[in-house]
Amino acid sequence: MTTYIIRRLLLMIPTLLGMTLMLFIIVRMAPGLTTGGGQFSAGIMQSRQAQKQEQEILERRLHLVDKNGHPISLPMQYILWLKSTCEGHLGTSIVYQEPVMTLIEQRLPVTLTINAIAMAVIYLVSIPGGLITALNQGKWIDRSYGFFSLALYSLPVIWLGSTLLGFLANPQYFNWFPSAGLHSTNTGNMTFFQYIADYLYHIVLPIVCSVYGGFAFLSKQIRGSILENLQQDYVRTARAKGLSGTTVLTRHVFRNSLLNLITLTGMSLPGLLSGSVIIEQIFSINGMGRLAYTSTLARDLPVIQDLALVGSVLTLLSYLAVDICYHLADPRVIYD
Amino acid sequence: MTDLTVPPIDQPLLYAPRPYWAWVAARLFRPLLVRICTAYLVILVIIALLVPLIANGQPYTCVIPAAAGHAAVREYPLFEDLSSTDWILLAVAAALAVQGVVQLTSRRLSRPQRLMRRRISFVIIAGITIIAGSLIAALHHNRLDATNYRSLARHGLITHAVFPPVPWGYAEMEPLSKGLINKLPSHRHWLGTDGDGRDELSRLLWGARIAMGVGFVSQIIALALGIIVGALTGYFGGIFDIIGMRLVEMVESIPTFFLILTFVAIYGRHILDIMVIIGVTGWTGYARLLRAEFFRIRNLDYVLAAQGSGMPLWRVLFKHMLPNGVTPVLVSAGFGMAGAVTIEASLSYLGVGVQPPTASWGSMLNSAGNPATVFRWWQALGPGLLIFITVLAFNLIAESLRDAIDPTTMGRR
Repeated sequence: MTTYIIRRLLLMIPTLLGMTLMLFIIVRMAPGLTTGGGQFSAGIMQSRQAQKQEQEILERRLHLVDKNGHPISLPMQYILWLKSTCEGHLGTSIVYQEPVMTLIEQRLPVTLTINAIAMAVIYLVSIPGGLITALNQGKWIDRSYGFFSLALYSLPVIWLGSTLLGFLANPQYFNWFPSAGLHSTNTGNMTFFQYIADYLYHIVLPIVCSVYGGFAFLSKQIRGSILENLQQDYVRTARAKGLSGTTVLTRHVFRNSLLNLITLTGMSLPGLLSGSVIIEQIFSINGMGRLAYTSTLARDLPVIQDLALVGSVLTLLSYLAVDICYHLADPRVIYD
Repeated sequence: MTDLTVPPIDQPLLYAPRPYWAWVAARLFRPLLVRICTAYLVILVIIALLVPLIANGQPYTCVIPAAAGHAAVREYPLFEDLSSTDWILLAVAAALAVQGVVQLTSRRLSRPQRLMRRRISFVIIAGITIIAGSLIAALHHNRLDATNYRSLARHGLITHAVFPPVPWGYAEMEPLSKGLINKLPSHRHWLGTDGDGRDELSRLLWGARIAMGVGFVSQIIALALGIIVGALTGYFGGIFDIIGMRLVEMVESIPTFFLILTFVAIYGRHILDIMVIIGVTGWTGYARLLRAEFFRIRNLDYVLAAQGSGMPLWRVLFKHMLPNGVTPVLVSAGFGMAGAVTIEASLSYLGVGVQPPTASWGSMLNSAGNPATVFRWWQALGPGLLIFITVLAFNLIAESLRDAIDPTTMGRR
């Protein structure tokens, strides 16, 4: 197992190198970049001189020019960026004038909390859903659950999100829910429980929008793995030795079917961290997705590069974690 | 000496042996819902191809009445104003129609004759369409005709005008000053107007072209990339596999929507750009699936036989192995098309999709007002429902295809 992990980690190096190179080429080959840096600086009142100075600092920071102001070649820029990233220095945002690490530290908890709650809801619905549909395979409840979860999966979030917001958070119709953000303005003089209640009140609509599409896939997977396990020999053995149907189901089939959940959960981890651009944009939530969206629109290169880098490292690591967990949960699975 | 000759079969077979694809198709289209979905998508494709003839501000034909000095002239404003894209898509529609007729008329022929005829006609029609398309692209000059023919017809300056069923172009605005913006459905505008005074129905129909175009073209690009990478990695294994899978991981490790946003923000928002971008970010799943299938197939006897008979590699790969491994990929492509339609609508909703005034369902949703203050739900209803039904249709067909090729459901129904 150790050799396997080491091999996987070693194989991650070419992937990451290729990924960074691809990203670098996409971002740096874009037209009109070197001249565009200064336009995002906050001060409109700045003098020409100050603007020029800022531009120079920016260019040096992006490794476009060296200390003496001479332009650096493109391959060298890539190596310098890679070097500073490997030393642990993520870049500094052009728009926010803050280190990318700080931005991520501000936004990640927001996205993570919402997505964790959403995922819990999805599991709470999908696991019973998968179980019930598997036990009633082919009957009307199976078919209608399958159809409705697929219909929900197909429902575009841009439509449902804007419609919910338009009807339920709008003085024009029903002003039941807040239309933007995660907290009321007067959080300062709230008790802890009021604060939590206020937060929950704010995330109702975003959570609704994040969960409804997730039922179809997860229930289908759970249904499939339960059906597969029901046909295994050990189920027949368990029945033959006189266990009741419920015991066979809960102690044997269900627990074995949960093994598949490891893979599914692991695969959804990166999505948990990166956040949904559309939902965060519709409900004006300052999470990771919105950060990604605004920085791509503003061509905030350091943020784009570092977000993609952090995202892909986390993705690759969670794929590895899935394989290891699978081995730990089911020692029969051996990789070589 | 024993007689080794096989006794002749004197009884006819109980049922004719069917080729695999006919069997899959028969099972796929058995549920009524799948037939309805297919019909809906076919109609949507026809609308997408022919939309300039359905929703347009110019009349098919009209007559400029005789006046002092010249006789009456018959004009064809709509056809004169078609862009080269419109003409190419009309050529594609004609080609599809002719091929459809060939398919229908050759049904009663024997199988080899039928296949022969269909193949020959396909090659000829595809050739003619490609040549015609490139000629149109090279020679046709787009014209911008901003004449308001409706008002001319009203004032009797043109007569005998025949307008399309929806007599509004996708970018034709009502004058903002006359209070004709954000109108509820009426006789004049069957689904009302949007914030710029443009006809909603016309924009919905034109939006079908964007949605279907993105759905099909992007997934064809993705399928081509995925099939090439998947086939090579799965067949050769070894160093090909290691390199190919690193490529897949590279693309997969960055969140897809973020990657697409970056591409779009940096490289442009032309509709072709968006098709290519969705294609090149969406092929990894197909490559993985096909790789797994090819791993399984490559040691089967018939592949060994094909190799042993000295066939060229591409023939073994794409003629013998691909048809047996491609079905899971096709299921995935169905979901992929649904995904591409959603992605395009989302991009347009966020304001980074196709450029205005091009009609896209996503941008129509966006222009239904800021949901937190002014929300004109009737403007959001049309595009929202169309995205929903289109995506659902693709998903249902894909799901039904998965059931159709799944051997464990064979006994049921």
